[in-house]
Amino acid sequence: MTVANRLEFASMHPTEFVDITDRIRDEVRGSGLRNGRVHLQSLHTTVGIAVNENEPLLHRDFEILLERLAPTGAGYEHDDFSRRFDIALDEPVNGHAHCRQLLLSAFATLLVEDGGLVLGRWQSVFAVELDGPRHRQLALQLEGEFSKRRSHAPESLVEIELARQLMVDPEAVASPMRRLVEAGGKRLRPKLVQLTAAIGPRNDPLRAAELAAAVELLHNATLIHDDYVDESAYRRGRPTVAAEEGPERAIAVGDFYFAKATRLIAEMGNAGVTSAVAEALEAICASQIDDVALRGAYPGDRESYLRVVRGKTASLFAAACASGALLSEADPKIVDALRRYGELLGIAFQMADDMVDFSPSSGKPVGLDVRQRVLSLPLIYAAEDRVVGPEVRRLLAGSLGDAEVGRVTELVTSCEALPRVRSEAEALVEDAVRELESIELDGLRPTLIGLARSAVDRVA
Amino acid sequence: MSVQVQALDQELDRLEGLWSDGLSETYRSYLDNVGHFASERQPKLALAAALIEVGLRLQGLGGRAATPTTLLMGDLCLARGSRLLADHAPLAVQVAFARAIESMSSAAASEQPAPATRPLLASSLGAGR
Repeated sequence: MTVANRLEFASMHPTEFVDITDRIRDEVRGSGLRNGRVHLQSLHTTVGIAVNENEPLLHRDFEILLERLAPTGAGYEHDDFSRRFDIALDEPVNGHAHCRQLLLSAFATLLVEDGGLVLGRWQSVFAVELDGPRHRQLALQLEGEFSKRRSHAPESLVEIELARQLMVDPEAVASPMRRLVEAGGKRLRPKLVQLTAAIGPRNDPLRAAELAAAVELLHNATLIHDDYVDESAYRRGRPTVAAEEGPERAIAVGDFYFAKATRLIAEMGNAGVTSAVAEALEAICASQIDDVALRGAYPGDRESYLRVVRGKTASLFAAACASGALLSEADPKIVDALRRYGELLGIAFQMADDMVDFSPSSGKPVGLDVRQRVLSLPLIYAAEDRVVGPEVRRLLAGSLGDAEVGRVTELVTSCEALPRVRSEAEALVEDAVRELESIELDGLRPTLIGLARSAVDRVA
Repeated sequence: MSVQVQALDQELDRLEGLWSDGLSETYRSYLDNVGHFASERQPKLALAAALIEVGLRLQGLGGRAATPTTLLMGDLCLARGSRLLADHAPLAVQVAFARAIESMSSAAASEQPAPATRPLLASSLGAGR
C-alpha cells in the first residue's frame, strides 16, 4: 500500500534550511505506517533535500560552502537572458541556485520502523531553499505495512470529528477552513480538552472529541481574522485565507466557524462549558484590540504584554482546560485548578512562541514577529537592555526591511532577552504544575505536567 | 428604560462610542422581540441581538471588508453578543442565533444574497416558544 501527500512550506530567505522532520513524523503517525519507507522528492529545481544536524552555526557553514562552490552572480550562462527563449517576465537570476541544487539531492528515502522514523540522534531532515523566499512543495509517498485497525487514539477522534464537521458545511466556507486544518497546527487546545474531560466521573471520549474539535474550529476562526488584521501572507506554510481568497471571504469564513463552533458547544447542553468558552472568546477579541493599539508604542512593556497575552492566548487555554473538566462533571475545585493551570500554561506557551521567532532551527521564518510588529517579550526585554536597547528602539521606530529585521534579530539574540524570557516561561510552567498538586487527577498528572513542560522545551 | 440601560453599563465596556452611534436605536428595536423572556433577561437579550447586528455590519459581512481595526470592533460585538446569549438565553435561542450567523456568512462567502439581518435575528429571539 502507498499513501501520497504534499508538504508545503514558505521560505523567508535566499538560502534556508527548513527543518521538516516533525512534519514527516506527523505524516507517518497520521497514515498509520508501521514498517516501511517514506520517499521525499523536491518539486523544484532550486530546492534540495538534506539529512544533517540541526545546528545554526553548521547551517551557516553550509551556506558558506555553497557560496564558495557556486558563487552568486558568477556569470552563469543561464542568467544571460539575451540567449534564452521563452523566459517568463519574472524569471529570476538564479544560475547559482540551480548549480547548488546539483550539489545536493532532490530525493530522500527514510526508513520507518515500529511507526517511527529511523534517524540517528543528531539527524534531522531539511528542505534546503536555494532561491528564496518562495512558497514550496515537496512530494511525499509512504509505502509499506500499515496498521490494519485504524487507531482510535484521542487525537484521531478529534481529526475524525473535524473532518466530519467540515464535510457537512458549504464548500465556500469549508474549503478554506479544511486547508487551514489540514496544514497542521499543534492541536494543544483540543488535547487539553480531551485530557481534562477524562478527569470527572462522566468521561465520554466521543463527547470530549466533539468539544475539542469545536474549540479547535473556534481557534482557527480567530486565526483567519487575525491573519487579515496582521496582513500575514502565510500560516502553517500555506497562504492565509485572506491572502488567497481576499478579506471579504476571510471575514465570512471566520464568522461562519465562530458561529458554528459556538452552536456545537451550545448543543452539548452544558451551560458551564458554553459560558467558559464564550468568556474566552470575548477576552480574545478584547485583547486583539489592545494588541493592535499597542503597536503604536511598539514594542511596549511587560505589563501591557501580559495583559494582551492573558486574553489573546491564555484565555482559550484556560477555557479548554475548564470546559473539558466541566463536561466530565469534575469537582468545581478541580475545574478551578485546571483553569489556572491552563492560564499559566497559555502565557508560558506564548512566551515560548515569541522565542521561536528568534530561533533559526525552528523551521519557521526568523524575525517574522518583528517584521509584522507583533507583541513579543524578547523584543520588549531587548529594547529595555542597557547595551543593545537604544539601537533596538531606534530600528523599531523606523521602517523594517530585511536588513533592519536581521539586525534586530541579532541584537535580541546577543543580549540577555531570550534567557530571561525562557526562565520566566519555565517558572510559569512550574507554577502551572503546582496548581495540579492539590487535586486528584486520576493518573493524568504526569501527562499534564509533560504537556506543560513541552510547551517551553520546543525552543530548547 | 434608564434602569434597563444602567443594567447594561458593564456590557458596554469599550463599546460606549457605538452606543451613541446607532447601537442604542438597534437595541431599542429588539426590545419588541424579547417580551416573552423574564424581565431581568430582556435588556440583555435585546442587547445581544443588537450587538450581533451591529457587529456584522461593522465587519462588512456580505459587502466590502472592514478595515482591520473596525473588523476587530465587529468581532468584539459578536463575541460579547454571543456571551450574553450563553449567559441569559435558552438553548434554542442560542442555537437559532448561531444558525442565523452561519446562514448569513455562508451566503456572503458564496457571494449569494444574504437574508436580511434584523428579521432573522428577531425571529431567532422567538426560537423555541
